[in-house]
Amino acid sequence: MLQLLSSVFTLYQERADWFAGLLADHIALAFCAIVMSLIIGLALGIWISEHPRIAPAVMGLCNVLYTIPAISLLGILIPFSGIGNETAVIALTIYGVMPMVRNTYAGLTTLDADILEAAKGMGSTRLQTLLRVKLPMAAGVILAGVRNMVVMTISVAGIASFVGAGGLGVAIYRGITIYNPAMTAAGSILIALLALAFDLALGKLEKYFKKRGSL
Amino acid sequence: MEETVIRFEHVWKSYGEQPVLKDFSLEIGKGEFLAVIGRSGCGKTTALKLVNGLIVPDTGRVEVKGQDISCADPVMLRRQIGYAIQNVGLFPHMTVEKNIAYVPSVSRMDGWKGEDRRKKTEELLRQVGLSPALAGRFPRELSGGQRQRVGIARALAASPDILLMDEPFGAVDAITREQLQDEILKIHRERGLTVLFVTHDIEEALKLGTRVLVMEEGTVQQCDIPSRLLSAPATDFVEKLVCRRREPEVRM
Repeated sequence: MLQLLSSVFTLYQERADWFAGLLADHIALAFCAIVMSLIIGLALGIWISEHPRIAPAVMGLCNVLYTIPAISLLGILIPFSGIGNETAVIALTIYGVMPMVRNTYAGLTTLDADILEAAKGMGSTRLQTLLRVKLPMAAGVILAGVRNMVVMTISVAGIASFVGAGGLGVAIYRGITIYNPAMTAAGSILIALLALAFDLALGKLEKYFKKRGSL
Repeated sequence: MEETVIRFEHVWKSYGEQPVLKDFSLEIGKGEFLAVIGRSGCGKTTALKLVNGLIVPDTGRVEVKGQDISCADPVMLRRQIGYAIQNVGLFPHMTVEKNIAYVPSVSRMDGWKGEDRRKKTEELLRQVGLSPALAGRFPRELSGGQRQRVGIARALAASPDILLMDEPFGAVDAITREQLQDEILKIHRERGLTVLFVTHDIEEALKLGTRVLVMEEGTVQQCDIPSRLLSAPATDFVEKLVCRRREPEVRM
């Protein structure tokens, strides 16, 4: 174990530029998927919370997509979008939408009915109620979904190299194929650290919103 | 009676099979303080929400200032009517100042920016008996009574001439409640508001109302000045209601 760790550090020292490049690719790949999941998930979540009748269908579909194993989702997408970063971003986005939709919907539909009635009774339009009252109050729950999605996207992006995408998965995959456990470990550790760092930062932000949003 | 501000004409309303208002007709004059009293489910809250269009009648008409509200834009209508409810419904993510300035802000009223907003908020806080220092606080930092007062200040912010209050003092202790009652009487006098005030407390209704409307099972039992309610109750129900007040039961 110690031997593995020390060879991992040697690897980091010897191939610092290579790992830095992979890390940058990884962040870029995850970032694209995160932005897409954020936009699509938020929009879908808002849409179904304003039209509760279609909510079960949309949530059901998201749940089904979420249960497809990551590696097979990548495989299924290859005939449609080929290999490379594009396929990886699509797959990661499909995964990331689910926690976003779930939390946005939950956050927007469990708000205090009295407050919503006050907002309506005082003459807010539907959009004003959404932007000024509902979304700020649901921010804590939605942010919990963002955090969940970001961490998941960063770690699942590790297998994106199986469809020829870049990122730290390249180190993992190469480590497996040339039987170099240190290289696989080196890639994995960086992914874990990256995910942890984002988790901590978003956790801080979430705490702030939860505190502000609760009576 | 002076000019009519709110008029109900033969309003029927039911939830599913359950009728809550049966042929409900009533006129409320300018400057009146109408206290509406009845048991839970008697239709008093429904009647109140008909005025700002939160509830739409099955049949019949509701007029506000001479206009049939089914033809009015509900958003514009509500902005002209102050609305305060039992659980206050303050926005937890906004400071007291932003809560109070909510209606002027959503209706983009002039003179509610920066320094002007601060001054007007302070003035309103003073009117409801609160210290202007509370303007920067969040609702969670206030006591129940203070929240109720902020709720009233918020309902008054856009200078409405009609105020709808749905058991606004239901959740505060007896002493605070009495102070709030005096406060609202003062505001009613000073501003010449037309107030529709729903309560289930007969003492409160008799103390506040220039007229008291007693409702039971969706119908008007009696609508009269408080002294007539006491001297000449129209039905058994009204008599029972006011009797209970005159001879409070005390445990020996």
